[in-house]
Amino acid sequence: MTGTAIAIEHVTKRFPLKGQSEGVLALEDITVSVAPSEFVALLGPSGCGKSTLLRLVAALEHPTEGTVSIGGEAPGSLVARHALGVAFQDHALLPWLNVRDNIALPFSLASKPVDREAVRGLIDLVGLGGFETARPRQLSGGMRQRVSIARSLVLSPEVLLLDEPFGALDAVTRRQMNIELQRIWSRQRITTVLVTHSVDEALFLADRVLVLSARPGRIIREVATPFDRPRDPAVMRSAAFHDLVDDLTDALHPTEATTDAS
Amino acid sequence: MRASSRLTAIAYGTAGLAGFFALWQVIGHYQLAGLSWPPLTAVLQYLFDPDRHALFLRAIDATLRSTVAGYLIGALTGIALASTAYTLPVLQRGSDRFAAVVNSIPSIALGPIFLILISREATPAGVASIHVFFIVYVSMSSGLASASQAHEDLFSALGSSRLKRFLRLNFPSAVPAIVSGLRLSWPAALIGAIIGEWFGAPRGIGILIINSMQNFQIDLLWSAVLLAAMVSLFFFGLLTLAERAAYRRFR
Repeated sequence: MTGTAIAIEHVTKRFPLKGQSEGVLALEDITVSVAPSEFVALLGPSGCGKSTLLRLVAALEHPTEGTVSIGGEAPGSLVARHALGVAFQDHALLPWLNVRDNIALPFSLASKPVDREAVRGLIDLVGLGGFETARPRQLSGGMRQRVSIARSLVLSPEVLLLDEPFGALDAVTRRQMNIELQRIWSRQRITTVLVTHSVDEALFLADRVLVLSARPGRIIREVATPFDRPRDPAVMRSAAFHDLVDDLTDALHPTEATTDAS
Repeated sequence: MRASSRLTAIAYGTAGLAGFFALWQVIGHYQLAGLSWPPLTAVLQYLFDPDRHALFLRAIDATLRSTVAGYLIGALTGIALASTAYTLPVLQRGSDRFAAVVNSIPSIALGPIFLILISREATPAGVASIHVFFIVYVSMSSGLASASQAHEDLFSALGSSRLKRFLRLNFPSAVPAIVSGLRLSWPAALIGAIIGEWFGAPRGIGILIINSMQNFQIDLLWSAVLLAAMVSLFFFGLLTLAERAAYRRFR
């Protein structure tokens, strides 16, 4: 791969905590590089700091030690250029705006004229044609997340950050959303970092999966997925997929002995 | 299911009101509370006597003018101060204390001060505005802070300016709280205006109340109080409808 889109170098993050001068160590000496047009999944148990890592890339947090840069820029300057797309577990749709206006919100925050064509195209892309004027509370959980995904893509961002976007959905909807996200992503190939605790989701969507340990978060395993794009959902039934699922599940849940030793 | 439970609520409400009026009538009719408690029918007869229409309309007109003026001044001041304090966090603590201090002064004590500062005509609106200011300030402040962390993060990640964040996130998030504050402050505004009128306003419901009390005009006193309650409830009802609409639109 040529060049580096996201470079996370020796990043340590501590959060201040009352009564502890050291604070809480959330991430320790993390080094990750993401290539342009690469899809990287951060996989880890809850509380491992994977969301914190994503928030560092989004300039929502700042590293205690180490540096984060995106294409040589500080995350903050990427944000200031409105070149970042984000979708969180909480869809964070504005309840007083309809689907179309929610998707168009990034234009107004970037002081750009709304590209009606782009908004319409994305509504079709995420399969919400006919729901343009519906309000978020009239939509199902899966539909709200589709709106949130469409909103994250509307400015054609250079980097896309997804933090458990389907974490609150039921298993069936989640699987369906994964298939759709894979289809959408394969068309645009935006440099993407996905945070998830689902092994299947990480393997099906990403080019590379990084496994983080809990407290402090460290990268303990790295796997490149060997599946071609666009991916057929049938990939999830292949033997190679199952082997990788077993492998990563094992990495995620180490035996008691190793946990005690640390 | 929902329609029927609503119907039950209306039925209970009507029954409660009917019971209240019946009790009022019985106590008045048999003079159980003495001569100063007239039966409801006597009060209504007095209130709706065509000869007195002009008297009561003039009073309503004067009191409503003061109430609305004070209501608007208080609400706008509350909204403006809460917005300023929210956008300039340095001011937040100071303005919270200021609002609390203003609220802790009994309005009956503020009356004479208004009387010498402004005029006796403007005192009712002044007292009303103080009542409204605090309620709207508090509801606006809490409303502005009510946007979720996920929404705040979204606006940060999308590179929103502070002004756009205020206009497109914090202010719309605050609308239901503001409207609730406006609803709750209407009766407070009316009380403020009536109290303010006692400091020498030329006319108004408050003047009818205090004059009839001093002259022992029992029917007039009760009529004026009933009138104040009716004016208060009428606008309170309208504002409740507005509140429901705001909740539907902004939540």
